[in-house]
Amino acid sequence: MVEILTSQVVSGLATGCVYALIALGFVLIFKATDVVNFAQGEFVMVSGFISYTLLIRGGLPYWLVLVLTVVASGFVGVALERVVVRPIMDAPIFSIVIATIGASTVLRSSAGILYGYDVLPLPTLFSKDPVRLGVLTFTAMDAGVIGSSLAIMLALYLFIKLTKTGMAMRATAQSQTAARLMGVSVKRIFSLTWAISAGIGGVAGVLIAPIIYLDPNLGFIGVKAFAGAILGGFGSIPGAIVGGMLLGVLENLSGYFFNAGIKQVSTYILLILVLVIRPSGFFGAAPIRKV
Amino acid sequence: MSATWRARLPGVAVLVVAVLLLFLPRVADNYVLYVMTRLFVYVLVALGLNLLTGYAGQVSLGHAAFFAIGAYTAAVLAERWQWPSLLCLVAAGVFTGAVGYLLGLPCLRLSGLYLAMATLGFTLIVQEMLLQLAVLTHGSEGMKVAPASLLGLTFDSDTRKYYMLFAVTAAMLLFARNLVGGRLGRAFLAIRDNERAAAAMGVNLARYKTIAFAISALYTGLAGALSAFIVGFLDPQEFSFFLSIQFITIIILGGLASLLGSVLGACFLIFLPELLAGLDVWQALVYGLIMVMTILFMPFGLSGALRRYAFRWFGIGSEPMIPRRLGH
Repeated sequence: MVEILTSQVVSGLATGCVYALIALGFVLIFKATDVVNFAQGEFVMVSGFISYTLLIRGGLPYWLVLVLTVVASGFVGVALERVVVRPIMDAPIFSIVIATIGASTVLRSSAGILYGYDVLPLPTLFSKDPVRLGVLTFTAMDAGVIGSSLAIMLALYLFIKLTKTGMAMRATAQSQTAARLMGVSVKRIFSLTWAISAGIGGVAGVLIAPIIYLDPNLGFIGVKAFAGAILGGFGSIPGAIVGGMLLGVLENLSGYFFNAGIKQVSTYILLILVLVIRPSGFFGAAPIRKV
Repeated sequence: MSATWRARLPGVAVLVVAVLLLFLPRVADNYVLYVMTRLFVYVLVALGLNLLTGYAGQVSLGHAAFFAIGAYTAAVLAERWQWPSLLCLVAAGVFTGAVGYLLGLPCLRLSGLYLAMATLGFTLIVQEMLLQLAVLTHGSEGMKVAPASLLGLTFDSDTRKYYMLFAVTAAMLLFARNLVGGRLGRAFLAIRDNERAAAAMGVNLARYKTIAFAISALYTGLAGALSAFIVGFLDPQEFSFFLSIQFITIIILGGLASLLGSVLGACFLIFLPELLAGLDVWQALVYGLIMVMTILFMPFGLSGALRRYAFRWFGIGSEPMIPRRLGH
């Protein structure tokens, strides 16, 4: 009983880590540019297909595929920012949201035209055989996904805290005007932020696509990641990580205790309850009113 | 053009469109009429959502749920207890409005993205409830709905359905117009623009926000009920969060805080896929591209663009003022 439970928690944590990575992408873009990018999930889908093409049709080694996929996904992010978002930065926030939804429709249907709507197999680096460690039972895949996600998060943290570019990103998030006055090229930071967010989404794609499925609708995982980011407090980086992981674990546990239908809904019931008690999520500051 | 003539032009245009729509069934085939009836349903939803989101500034992704609640309320009342159609419609609207009021209460503390997410959660929960409450809703099998009838007249042909929807939509449009021009509309706009200033001017925030939720839900529930009678079949899969996103797309493409925008946005969403139907697999791609282009060139929606150019080129109306932020 305990073993089943712990294995459910660990595999939930693995999915939760992927949610957390995508949620991180949402939050990074939101903090830097005030834009909510609803095409965030499509980065996951696009990078899934890129890695499929390179790996199965191109026959490249796995590590090279990983690097190329993340770079390519980053370029997709920059392209999206330049073409769709930058021209309408002065428009109402929700117009920008709808523009990104339109862009995700374009990406999704392009993938459908190129690859069809059947589920494609994607091999994983890690084996799915169970490993036992005391009361803990998990697969190498769970451990690999959790490990890689945490490594990415740590690398991102160090980049933002220690490098000069990272400092410029933080400055831009605090005040675009002040950052510009200090000689930061805010436009370049915007592009960089989109590249990083899309790159992280790319990692998430390579990690999750072999676990669940690879088809043009993979991008809808972004909705769950968004829920995770809201749960943690939208705009908070630790919030995105904790919220994403919590969502993954909870979803898995309720899938174990209840039927599949309840599993899908339980997370949203929790979400509404949390929001009623804490209207800006776990880590969210009270919204700053810009009058 | 004289000044009075210019001021009257929008009113004249509305009258001309209304007369043309009245005589449409004489010339159009059944398919066109069916598409038009669906358009009217979407106009009703867009009016309701625009009252809440465009005017009162409360973003909702919960309108697919209201639509579903209205549709199923009417269908269940008609099937189980054989209520007359008119009563079903009224009950569906009132019940959905009450649900909207109740949803509005916990949502008072939320705004912006958090409100969007909570209402999105509501949509997903209601959709699951439709499946779980199979005793009433027949679950995933779906539910048949008999055509509406009033005083012995059955609305079973496309022409009759068209006129039923035309009448209801025209009445509700007029109602919305009076609403936004009156005390309630001014209170909504004040809340949207600045909650603190509105409260300081004596607008009871909690009261007007929940009223906005209730009225918005009433419109959407009524639209859902009408849609149930037109289509004749309810499939729970249709009331997914996509539908909510479609609804919000309508009012943003059409124009926030604009009745004209609600109508134009619904036209965009209904007619464009019909026009692109021949494109087969390319349809979604082209649709998405047009959507992005529309926002890129008309960030304040179709009605915002129309008003701006009507003013700049012909001096009709006034330059539209549209706020950048909704909520916070």
